[in-house]
Amino acid sequence: MSDAQAKVKVHVEKVNKSYGDNHVLRDISLDIAENEVVVMIGPSGSGKSTFLRMLNQLEMPDDGTIVVDGFNISDKSTDINKVRENIGMVFQSFNLFNNYSVLENIMLAPIETGKMDKAAAETKARQLLDTVGLSEKADVSVNSLSGGQKQRIAIARALAMEPDIMLFDEPTSALDPEMVGDVLEVMKNLAESGMTMIIVTHEMGFAKQVADRVVFFESGKIQESGAPKQVFDAPKNERLQEFLSKVMHA
Amino acid sequence: MLKKWLFGLASLVTLFSFNLTIQADKPHYTITTDATYAPFTFQDKNNKYVGIEQETMKAVADREGFTYTMKPMSFNSAAQLVSNGQADGIIAGMGVTEERKEVYDFSTPYYKTGVAWIVKKDSNIKSLKDLKGQTVALKTGTSASEYGKSLQTKYGFKIKYFNDTDTMYNDVVNGNSAATFEDMPVIQYSIKNGIQLKIMNPKSLGNAGVYAFAVEKGKNKALLASFNKGFAGIKKDGTYDKIVKKYLGATQSTFSGSKKDNSSIFGILNSNKSAFLKGLWQTIELTVIAILLASIFGILLGIMGVSEFKLIRGISTTIIYIFRGLPLMVLAFFIYIGLPGVIGIKIPAFTAGIITLILNEGAYTGAFVRGGFEAVEHGQMEAARSLGLTYGKAMRRVIMPQGIRIMVPSFINQFIITLKDTSILSAIGLLELTQTGTLIVARNSQGFRVWAIIAMMYLILITLLTWLSNWVERRLK
Ligand SMILES: Nc1ncnc2c1ncn2[C@@H]1O[C@H](COP(=O)(O)OP(=O)(O)OP(=O)(O)O)[C@@H](O)[C@H]1O
Ligand SMILES: [Mg+2]
Repeated sequence: MSDAQAKVKVHVEKVNKSYGDNHVLRDISLDIAENEVVVMIGPSGSGKSTFLRMLNQLEMPDDGTIVVDGFNISDKSTDINKVRENIGMVFQSFNLFNNYSVLENIMLAPIETGKMDKAAAETKARQLLDTVGLSEKADVSVNSLSGGQKQRIAIARALAMEPDIMLFDEPTSALDPEMVGDVLEVMKNLAESGMTMIIVTHEMGFAKQVADRVVFFESGKIQESGAPKQVFDAPKNERLQEFLSKVMHA
Repeated sequence: MLKKWLFGLASLVTLFSFNLTIQADKPHYTITTDATYAPFTFQDKNNKYVGIEQETMKAVADREGFTYTMKPMSFNSAAQLVSNGQADGIIAGMGVTEERKEVYDFSTPYYKTGVAWIVKKDSNIKSLKDLKGQTVALKTGTSASEYGKSLQTKYGFKIKYFNDTDTMYNDVVNGNSAATFEDMPVIQYSIKNGIQLKIMNPKSLGNAGVYAFAVEKGKNKALLASFNKGFAGIKKDGTYDKIVKKYLGATQSTFSGSKKDNSSIFGILNSNKSAFLKGLWQTIELTVIAILLASIFGILLGIMGVSEFKLIRGISTTIIYIFRGLPLMVLAFFIYIGLPGVIGIKIPAFTAGIITLILNEGAYTGAFVRGGFEAVEHGQMEAARSLGLTYGKAMRRVIMPQGIRIMVPSFINQFIITLKDTSILSAIGLLELTQTGTLIVARNSQGFRVWAIIAMMYLILITLLTWLSNWVERRLK
């Protein structure tokens, strides 16, 4: 445990979640180490998003324990806002703030949470715009951007809070194919910089290339997990085999 | 003749100087009256309230050395304001009945009267029996209407109620109602003024009775005593008979303006300029104040409606439910007439009107403000929260600015509705545009022309309001 390399960033233990009669997550347990990149795959409705959204309390588990960054967020009395400052999230539908310019989108959270003053937030925002290759878009309205640009801004917005964990829920699913590459490129660089990342995606090529671990969800359970090589090239679980044959030949 | 004048002048001067000496402790009263009850009370062509009652009250007050504020409104409101202590006395053609004696103390009667039943001039109705199955127009709360109602079962007619005399008459003239019941002097005056109606029982008036000044039972004894003393005085010296003669012998143009004034829209506009302008101004004032305050109240309700706390959301929902559900007029009556009796504080009509509008329009505003906030894409809130913003910050910085944009058209719509709703406040006697129209028609019987003018004024106001709102909307974008 004293080994810094093996430091646990996310600890999930026996988590259950139901929506009415729909038992969406069943006894899920998973640990994620610092600097690890975990990719979650699985058929639609298997509970991937629900699981991801629990990691920053956008959903509350019915039971079980979730500890992120040392904070027990399955406990309602934890100040979730403080924990969230350290967890960036990127959504399939971008969710950029329509009432602000690109630069303001990135600056908003650092200023409003008191993390930075205005000048520092702007410096940070411009630097991030440079990182995602969109410096020239600083002052435009977010509605004038293409999908790929929007998603890169959304990543920059999350990074502005200088989080140590990043959650991605199908970040490229709403994009035209030619835009996907730019976004994946940004994510790849982020992974290489050592960010702890948990990514739900259908981009199997990207998963193979970037993931330290691939987790297969099905029917609210983790059916198999392991190194990408093992999961993709030698799947043991029957449902995983079925799933892979479908997506690989699609 | 000259002698009489000089004598009158001398007594006036004495009275005046006498008044001056006691001015410091002159009592002051609030008296209510029925605004549309010619020849007893009505507005003359200069928009001053005149009539037998107005002059009688003035003569009595001058004689007895008290001052008063006269508040003309509908008979019902006038009566209720006295019975719940918001006004001191009422002089409004109020017939003395046993039932009313439970609530009011009456003065010596100032007028003997009886109820006439009235039909259209060329009607072929011959007797009360012919009214079977027909509609009879009655004015709410008057003793003439009670008399009419007492005959309902016997003669089998239907009853339709009105709030003012003129609308009621016109309903009979137009043939919508077959007959009406009204106090003899009132209908006499109207027929003299050319309304196309005829009296069926001039010799055998129903329910012969008397009109008297009234105060709330057991209260205002000094006022009642003054009135009785003063009235005895003006009866004795002939002042009162002169007043009555002046009104029942009057020709139309004396009070309602010349034929020329009334024969065109322009003439009516011109001869009632100050009344129209006053009414218009009152409507504008009500609208502007109500729009501002109701918007503030509504936005507050809307914000409460999307609070993260269930209790606060519940409070907002309840307030919206109640005040959106209540008809505006019921709310106005409740606040103006009902509430003061319970809380013991007089609420001026204007204030009551504004409160009514704030609650009602504010509830509607609250509902669409909440709806606007809820209409903002859910992902916006999730994104803001995922960045560590509190619920309140996410609301203020992200959701509300977007919600407000969605709401702009609803706001403009609500402003126009508020402007139109001010007309309902004429029911509590506010002299806004609609009430102004009612009063002018009561005097000159030019319904078409007057209401056309009023309608035009509303349309102009609404056009201006729409322009202004659209201009603001463009600037917001
Ligand atoms: N807020 C909610 N209320 C009710 N049911 C929900 C809610 N959110 C998700 N569900 C249900 O939970 C199940 C899992 O949903 P989830 O979004 O986690 O699946 P997923 O694996 O992310 O699927 P996809 O690949 O389609 O995004 C689904 O059956 C879904 O209908
Ligand atoms: Mg999903």
